[in-house]
Order: sequence, then structure tokens, then C-alpha cells
Amino acid sequence: MENRTRILEAYTNHLREHGTTPPTVHAFCKSLNMAERDFFQEFASLESVESAMWGGWISSLTTRLEAGSEWPEFSARHRYLTFLFAFTESSLDWRSLMLARFSHLPPMASPPFLKAFEEHFKIFASEIVNHGLSTGEIAQRGPLQALYPAVLYIHFRAVVSFLLRDESQRFERTDAFIEKTVAFAFDVIRTQAIDSAFDLARFLAPSAWGKMS
Amino acid sequence: MSTQESIRSHKLDRMAALAGAGARVGMNYLKHYGRQALSGRADPDALQERNASEVFRTFSELKGGPLKLAQMLSIDQSLLPPAYARQFARAQYSAPPLSYPLVVRTFRREFGKDPRDIFDTFEPGAAHAASIGQVHRATLGGRAFAVKVQYPGVAESLRSDLGVVKPIALQILGLRERDVAAYFREVEARLLEETDYERELQSAMELSAACAHLPKIRFPEYHREFSSRRVITMDWMDGEPFDVFADGAAPQALRDSIGQTLWDFYAHQIHTLRRFHADPHPGNFLINGDTLCVLDFGCTKTIDPDFHSKQFAFLDPSLETNPTRLTAAMESMDILLPSDSPSQRAHLVELCKKSLELLALPFRAGHFDFGDPAFMKAIYDLGEENRKNDTLRGMRGQRGSADTIYLNRTFFGLYSLLTRLRAHIKTPLPVGLSFN
Repeated sequence: MENRTRILEAYTNHLREHGTTPPTVHAFCKSLNMAERDFFQEFASLESVESAMWGGWISSLTTRLEAGSEWPEFSARHRYLTFLFAFTESSLDWRSLMLARFSHLPPMASPPFLKAFEEHFKIFASEIVNHGLSTGEIAQRGPLQALYPAVLYIHFRAVVSFLLRDESQRFERTDAFIEKTVAFAFDVIRTQAIDSAFDLARFLAPSAWGKMS
Repeated sequence: MSTQESIRSHKLDRMAALAGAGARVGMNYLKHYGRQALSGRADPDALQERNASEVFRTFSELKGGPLKLAQMLSIDQSLLPPAYARQFARAQYSAPPLSYPLVVRTFRREFGKDPRDIFDTFEPGAAHAASIGQVHRATLGGRAFAVKVQYPGVAESLRSDLGVVKPIALQILGLRERDVAAYFREVEARLLEETDYERELQSAMELSAACAHLPKIRFPEYHREFSSRRVITMDWMDGEPFDVFADGAAPQALRDSIGQTLWDFYAHQIHTLRRFHADPHPGNFLINGDTLCVLDFGCTKTIDPDFHSKQFAFLDPSLETNPTRLTAAMESMDILLPSDSPSQRAHLVELCKKSLELLALPFRAGHFDFGDPAFMKAIYDLGEENRKNDTLRGMRGQRGSADTIYLNRTFFGLYSLLTRLRAHIKTPLPVGLSFN
């Protein structure tokens, strides 16, 4: 087996069994019977191993979905929904790992071990947004639209939090949560609601400022 | 995006939304009485309409459980002013459609496969809405199927939603919890059953087999292998929707024939099987030529022989002229309680007599013309009159049997369908029942 795969598997197993990360690279390599230099040829740190673990999950999901025969027909909204439902479906294999690592994470936190997870998601999200922009499903909004992938990532993390707290049978409430929040989000970005909000804010902000000073 | 916030305060938000409706109803009353004070007169119906739309708006903002609660409150016409009932009746049509990815997700969860791996074709858009789900058209090997998919989480959230909404709804509608507790339990039980598709499949297969011998009626074949907790698959039925047929130019003879089939179908279920399809709603039927197609068995009700005989003893025409027998029948059903004062008893007996004269009317001559809209109007008026009756509302205690809710709903629905058809039909007394 390749060293990279061995390291990733051993790291995942350690996290599953102990609920914590290995204390040091040295201890980790010892348990693997591997020289430290072999480890560092693949990864710069334990955190980057974990980052590759979570990132690998997202990228394998999106690769599989994008290869699906129905994918090209799907609208941006359907693509995003399909991703989130595939994610929840596949999360059954990852739930114990997620409970160990995500439960105590503040919803907006962006720790190093989630770097690749976030990156892969945002690349995928910007492809969805571009698809939506090209079909007119998402309104053109100049520099503002660069924020969309980041907004979708916040939503995605909210879905993860909801899923981890969901006690319903087969996580049906998470499905409903996804369906409803995505419908809402796409309703907002399709319309001029955001533009109107910004216009209103621009109108109010100077006068409010004037009164305060 | 304040998603986090909205999850945490889920229940509280709902409470707040409902309290808001209460406040708006209050405002409407203030405006109403303000106008009355200024002009010396006001239109109470206009007020009621306005309140109904406020309450309805709030209920429909809270999809799922509250939506069903709205429907359940619209079941018993005498509990509910017609204005509320009309608004609530709309609830059946206004649930949002499920996205195709969610339908796929449900299939993967239930069968471990995509719908298109199971069927040759599967239409991504819903053909029509069902009460807590939607229906997709699919084909396999040249055969067409109707696949009903349930909204996820409906079953999960129903109970907690009902718990939150019930007291507030009672207050808005001015009902006393203690007096209607048995009714709420009954309705809650039926609603929870409606979310159980495995049970519905079983009921549908049993009831359609037990009614298959009736002429001019057809039931779809159900497919257990493509059904689960959240999905029911049956044959696709072609035909004209009931309301399109009823409001169209169908000849009288065909209307009478369809009406007769409908009547006989319910008579067989209620009096012979004592288990019936308790949701006679136009959306559950199709007309194909001279055949009635029955689509949905989501809500079924079973009654025991004892209740059946007590209930239908009220069809005895002599009750209208013999107060002793009427009083005895009312006591057997706990409509009259031992604690009632003589004047309350007299009041209730009078009221019951009036209701009977009207509701038993179709059974009196052995045939009945539902073409006269005055009959349905009289039923509505009676409900309205009972509702406005302060003596009646002031009476305490739980009266009658909770079993009557769905039986009443069924008869009310059946009479409405027949009125819509303008059908003139034979209406014999239930089998085995005779009075002298």
C-alpha cells in the first residue's frame, strides 16, 4: 500500500477509536511502523493529514455527482440540493468522525484541519454559481456575486450542525431542513431582494451616521 | 444568513408567529368595534372573513403539522364558523412541491436506489399534490404507475407541532380544551396514521379487495415491492378529475349513475365492513366513462358494531315524534349527561331533533335528489346556528363519541360530493336496519 493511503487510513482509524487526534507525528509513525521522513514526504503535519481526509470526502462526492448522467440537465438549485442529499447519505459512514471533530466547533470557525474541506466545497460551489449565472437562475450582481461561494459554505456548515444534532429517524428532519433552506436561499439570490436591501442600506447609512456624529 | 439562529429558536419562533396571529385577530376585533361605534353598524361576516384569513395565513406559514391541524379543525363544521372552514379548506392545496433531488434522496433512503434505477421512466416534476406528499408518474415495462412520495419529516414533526399549536388554536377559536380533548385525541390519532404509508398500503389493499365486487367502481392495483414507509406505488389511473366532471356538461343519467356508485360504495363500507375511507374529497376520485376510480386511502376509520347500532338507531323516523325514544337514544350516546338541568335537556333534545330532521332527510323516502342546493345550505346554516347558540356553547362536559367526528366528516363529504354531482339517487336504509 502507498504510504499516503496508509497514513490516511491509520489516522482515520485512530480518530474513530480514540475520538482524539494522535498526540505527535513521532507516536503516530511508531504505531504505523513508518519512518518519520516517509511521513513528512507526504504530509507537512498531522493537521494536513486530517485536512486531506475531510477534503478527500468532499472531492470524491463531487466527482461522483458530476459524472452522473442526469447532472448536465440539473439547474444550479438542483445541483446544490443533490450534493447536500448525497452528503447526508454518505455521512452515515462519517458520523462518528464528525461527532468527534465538528460537535464542539463554533459554526463559523475555520480550523486548519478543515482547510481542504472548505476549499473543495468552495470550488464546487463556484461552479454551481457560474452555472446558475449562465442560465440566469442567479441574478448577475457584479463584485457581490464573488461572495456567493462563501455564503453557501456558511449554509453548508449550518447543514452539518443541524445533521449532527438531528435525532429524527433516518435524519429526515435534516432532509426537510436542506430542502427548505435551499429553496429560501435560491429565492433570495434569484430576485432583486439583495439589491434592494443594499440600496436601502446605502440610503439609510449616511443619514444615520449624520445623526450620530 | 441567520440559519443557526433560526434552528435554535425553532419552537419559539412558531409560538411567536401564532401569538402574532392572535394579536392580529384582536386588532381586527378592535377595528370592527371601532367602526361599529362610528357608524352604528358593522358587518360581522366581514370581520369573520378577515380573522379567518389571518389565522389561515399564520397556519400556512407553518407548513407541516399546523397545516394538518388547520384541516382537522375544518373537519367538524359545527365547531368551526364557515369562514374559517373555507379558508382552512384551501390548506389542502397549498403545500410546496418537493424538489426532484429530495425525491431521489427519499428513494435512496427507502430503497437504496435512484427512482430511475427502479423504473424505466420517472417524471421529475410532480403530477399532482397529495395531502402530505406528491405524486409522480413512472413507467416500467409499458405499465404506468403513480408513485406517491411523502414530505420528509412530516411524521416526525407532527406530534410536537400539534402540541405547540393546539392551545393557541383553541384560544383563537374560543374552544375549551377539556370539552374537546377526546376529539383532539381522535383527530391526532388519525393524522398520525395518515403519515404511516405502510399502514395506508395495507388499508388500501384490504378495502379495495373488500369493495372490488361493487359495480362501476375501480381501484388501482397497489405495488408492495415499490412501496415503503414514505413511498406508495399504485397503478396510474386515467380519468377526469371529479370536480371537472361535476362542473362540466355530463348528462343527468351519468351523474345519477356516478352518484349511485358513490353512495353504494360508502354504504357498503360503513354498514357492512364498518371500516371506511373517511376522506370523501373531490381530489380522491376520478371519473372514467361510467366508472368511478378511487385513488387514496390515507384516512380510514373503523367503528365497532355497538357504536354503529347506537349511531344509526338515530335514523328511526319515530324519534322525531317520540321524545322518550329520542332522549333514550341521546343518553346512549352521552349527548345528554345526567348532570344536565331540565332546561338544558329540553334545549339539547330540541336541537337534536332539528339536526335529525335535516341530516336523516336523504334516508326518508328511499331516494333523494341532491340537485337541490338548499339541502347543503340548510346543513351549513344549522352548523352556523349551533355555533352562535350561546346556551349550547355554555354547556360543559364532553359530549358524544369521538367516533362521530370522522363519521360526520364522511357523511358531510359524501353529501357535498353528491350535491356537486346534482345526482338523484336511491338511498335505502342501511342493510339489516328496519324501523316500525
